Amino acid sequence: MTTNTSMTSFIQKWSRRFFMAAAGSLAISAAAGMPAFAQDAEWQKVIEAGKKEGTLVLYTALVGQPSTKQIAEAFTKQYGISVEVLEARASEIRERVRVEQAAGRFAADVMFTSEGQTMLYDKEDKSVDPLPATPNSQKIGDKFKLKVPMASVMTIPYGIMINTGLVKPADEPKSWKDIADPKWQGKILSDDPRAIGAGYLWFFSTYDKIGEDYVKKVASQKLVFTRDQRESQRRTARGEYSIYMPVIMTDFSDLKGLPVKFIIPEEGVPYVLYGNVMLKKAPHPNAAKLYLDFMQGPVVQKIYAGLGYGPVLPGMTEGLPADVKAISEAKLYGTTDTTRQNEMLAKSKDIFK
Amino acid sequence: MTIIHNRPLDDIAETAPTIAGNAFTRAFSGGSLWRLIGMLLLILILGFLTIYPLAMLLYGSLHSTPPGMAGEFNLNGYRSIMTTQNLIVLANTIGISLAKTIPSLTIAVFLAWIVARTDTPFRGTLEVLITLPFFIPPILTAMAWGMLANPQVGVINMVWRWATGATDPLVNIYSYGGVIWHMCQYSIPFLFLFMVDAFRAMDPSLEESSRMCGASRWTTFRKITLLLMLPVLTSSFMLSFIKGIETFESALFFGLPAGIKVITTDIYESINHRATPDYQYATSLSFAIMGLMFLLVIWQWWMLRGKSFQTVTGKGFRPSVMELGPWRWVTFAFCVLFFFITVVLPIGQLMLGSFFRFFGFYTYDMLTLEHYRAVFANSEFWRAVRNTMVLGLLGATATMALGAIVAYISVRTRWRGRNLIDSMAWLPWMMPGMVLGVGFLWAFAMLPGPIPIYGTIWALLLAYIALGTPVSVRVMTGAYHQLSYDLEECSRVHGATWAQTMWRIMVALAWPAFAVGWVLTFFGIMRELSASILLYSVGSETLAVVLMKLWANGNAEQVSVIGLMMMLLVIVFRWVQLSFIKSRISKL
Repeated sequence: MTTNTSMTSFIQKWSRRFFMAAAGSLAISAAAGMPAFAQDAEWQKVIEAGKKEGTLVLYTALVGQPSTKQIAEAFTKQYGISVEVLEARASEIRERVRVEQAAGRFAADVMFTSEGQTMLYDKEDKSVDPLPATPNSQKIGDKFKLKVPMASVMTIPYGIMINTGLVKPADEPKSWKDIADPKWQGKILSDDPRAIGAGYLWFFSTYDKIGEDYVKKVASQKLVFTRDQRESQRRTARGEYSIYMPVIMTDFSDLKGLPVKFIIPEEGVPYVLYGNVMLKKAPHPNAAKLYLDFMQGPVVQKIYAGLGYGPVLPGMTEGLPADVKAISEAKLYGTTDTTRQNEMLAKSKDIFK
Repeated sequence: MTIIHNRPLDDIAETAPTIAGNAFTRAFSGGSLWRLIGMLLLILILGFLTIYPLAMLLYGSLHSTPPGMAGEFNLNGYRSIMTTQNLIVLANTIGISLAKTIPSLTIAVFLAWIVARTDTPFRGTLEVLITLPFFIPPILTAMAWGMLANPQVGVINMVWRWATGATDPLVNIYSYGGVIWHMCQYSIPFLFLFMVDAFRAMDPSLEESSRMCGASRWTTFRKITLLLMLPVLTSSFMLSFIKGIETFESALFFGLPAGIKVITTDIYESINHRATPDYQYATSLSFAIMGLMFLLVIWQWWMLRGKSFQTVTGKGFRPSVMELGPWRWVTFAFCVLFFFITVVLPIGQLMLGSFFRFFGFYTYDMLTLEHYRAVFANSEFWRAVRNTMVLGLLGATATMALGAIVAYISVRTRWRGRNLIDSMAWLPWMMPGMVLGVGFLWAFAMLPGPIPIYGTIWALLLAYIALGTPVSVRVMTGAYHQLSYDLEECSRVHGATWAQTMWRIMVALAWPAFAVGWVLTFFGIMRELSASILLYSVGSETLAVVLMKLWANGNAEQVSVIGLMMMLLVIVFRWVQLSFIKSRISKL
C-alpha cells in the first residue's frame, strides 16, 4: 500500500516536473519570439483598460488578514483602481461564486484561494478562466508555476508550537518524528486531522513522507483535537497542553510576549499554496489581470515575506529580521493533493478514530 | 378548574359586525373577500420567506448536484443518511438536547416566577442582569468557560486544588456536562425572557382562589400557575429543544476534544470539510430532522386544542406579587448565585481580558487599552455597526409585526388557513442555521435578474425576517393566548372600530411580549452569521461578519470588546423597556 502510494506520488511528481519544464520552456520560447517592446505595448493597453474599469472585486478565502487591506491600498495607489473585498471561508465563498455564475450574476473578478480549491473551481465548478500571461508571472519560481489556473502568490507554512514553561529546552521536539515520542502522550493539542484543515495537511504530508507507521504512532499519543487555530494557540500558551500542532508559523509575531516557541521541524514545513484565479466573465477583466500581476510583483511579495509567508518570487527575504526570515525561507515539506482528498480523509478517520 | 373549554371562537370571528373602513381594516375584520385577499397575501409573504428557500433545499436533497449544475434527481442523499452511525449520533443529540432543555426550562420557570410573581428584593435589576449571557456571542463565553473550567489550568480547578489539596480537577468543561452547561448558558436567559411576561400578565386572582380553597403554595404553583402557562411552556420547550438539536458551537468547542458528536457537526463537516461540499447529504439529513421536529409541533397543537388559557380578562387585571416573607431572601440568594455563576464568572473574564494584551495573562506589563483603541479606530467595524443597526431596527420591527399578525390570526380567529400560516412560521426554526443560510443563498441568487434582492441589503433583511419569525410568532401566540375574548367584545360593544380594538386591546395589552420579542429578534439579527456570510455584499458587512473576521485572525480580545459593547446596548434596551413597563403598570 505504502509502496503504491509512493509510486503514485513519484509519478505525479515526475509528471508535474515534466509539465513545469515544458510549460516553462514554452513560456520562454513564446516570450523570446515576441519582441519586448510588443509585450510592453500589449501590457500598456491592459494597464490603460484596467484604469478605465476603475474597480476590482476581490473575493478572498483568507479571512481576517490585515495584509489584504494593505495590499489593496498599495494596488490602488499604483493603478488608481479601487478594490472591493468580500471575505468568507473557503466553502462559503466557493458556493457563492458557483451560484452567482449559475444565475448569470458575474459579480467578482478575482478569487484569492488555495491550490486545492482552484482545482475544484476549475474541474468541478468550471468557474475560472485560463490564466493570462503577465510580466511578473514569468518571474516567479518554477515550482510555483502550476497546472491549475492559479497565479501563485505565497505559501502558508505550518510547524510545531510549544509552551516554554512546560517543555524544557533539552526536550524540545526538533522534527515531526519527535512528536511520536511517548513522553508527549496526552500533552499534545492537535488540529483535527479528520477534516480538511491544518491537521489534515500535517497528516497528508507526514503519511506520504514518513509513512503510515509513524502516523499510527502519533495517533496512539492520545491527541486532543480542536478546530480553532488561534484559540488553540492561546490554550497552549496558558498551559493546557505542552505542544500544539500544526501551527500557522506566521502567527508567531502575534503571540510575542507569551511563553511559547514556534519550531520549524527539521524535515520542513507542510504548506498551503495560495494564489489568485480569474473568475469567468469577470466584470473588470483588465483590472483583474493587473491585480494578478501585482500580487506576484515585488511590492506584495515583500509584504508577505515580511509576515513570514513564503514568497513565490525569489530574493524577497533580503534584510528581514532573522526570525521572520527563517520562517519565510523554511524548507517546504509537502502539501495536500485534492485528487486524493476523499481517500486520505477516509484513511485519517480510520487511524484517528 | 383552570382549563376550561373554549366558547366557539367562530362566534367572535364569524359573527363580528361588518365594519366600514379602509381595505386593511376590512381585510382582517370579517369581509370574506378582503379577508381572503389578506390571508393570501400573508401566505405569499410567508411562502417567499420560508417555503421558497426550503424548496430550494429540498431540490438540493433530491438532486445529485446543487441548483444551477447539471445532474439528476435521485434519493441518494436520503439513502446515505440511513446509517447506524447517524442513528447513534441522532440519539446522542436528542439526549444532549433533552438534558439541557429540561433543567433550563425548570430554572427559567423558577427565575421567571421569582422575578414576575414574588416580592424578591432587587428583582427589577436582577431581571436585566441574569439575561446578559444570552446576548454575548457564544464563541466568547465558550472561550471564557474554557479558561475557567479546563481540567489542567482552569481557574475553578486551580482554586479547588489550592483549597482542598486535591490532584483531580473539580470540573472539566470538555465533556458532555460542559457541552450541556454551555448550551444552558443560552437557553436559560432565552427561556426566561420568553416566559417572564406571561408570568407577569397573569391575573393572581386565580392563584388566590386556589389558595383560599385550601391548596398549598406548591399545589397552586403546579396546578394553577404552570397549567395556565401551558401554551408558553410548551412553546418554550419546543423552541429550546429544537434549538438544542441544532446546536453547533458548544458541541464543536467542547464536544470535539471529548469525542462527542452531534448531528450538526456531521452536517457542518459534509459542507465544510469535504473535498466537495456534499449539499445533498447535508440537506437530506436536515429534512429528516425537520420531519421529526414537526411531530413535536403536532403534539403541541394536540395538547392545546380546544382549551383556554386566558388570564388577562376584563375583570380588573391587577398584577400583584406573592409575598414570600423571609423566603424572599432565599429566592434572592438563588438569583444572585445564578447571576454570579452564569454572568460574573464568564463575563468577568471577558471584561478583565479586554484590558490586557492577552486573555489569561494578567500581569501589570500586559495592561493595555490597545484593543479598545483598535476597535474604535476600525472603520469597517463602524460601517458594520451602522448596517447592523439599520437591519436590526427594521428587521426586528418587521419580524414582530409579521409575527403579531400571524399569531393573532392563528390564536384569535377561526379563519381558514390559520394553521397553515402557523406551520409556515415554524419552518425556519427547524432547519439548522448553516443549511438554511445556503437555502437563502440559492433562493435569492436564483431569482430572475430584474428582482434586485441578491447582493443587496434586502437579501439580509428578508433572511433575518424569516429567521426571526418563529420566535416572534411564538412570543405573540403566548401573549394572545392569555387575553380574554371579552376584552375584544367589550371594546367592540362600546363602539370601537376593529382597528381601535386592535390598537387599544390587542396591541396595548400584548406589547410587553412584543417588546421582549423585539429585543430577542434584534439581538438574533446582531448575532446571525450563517446566512449573513453567504448574503452580505461589499459594503453591507454586518457585525457578525466583522466579529468572525476578527476571531479568525486571532483577535479574541477585540471580539470581547465588541461583545461587551453589545452587552451594554442590551442593558440600555432592557432598562428602557422595563421602565416603560413599570410606568404603564402604575397607570393601570
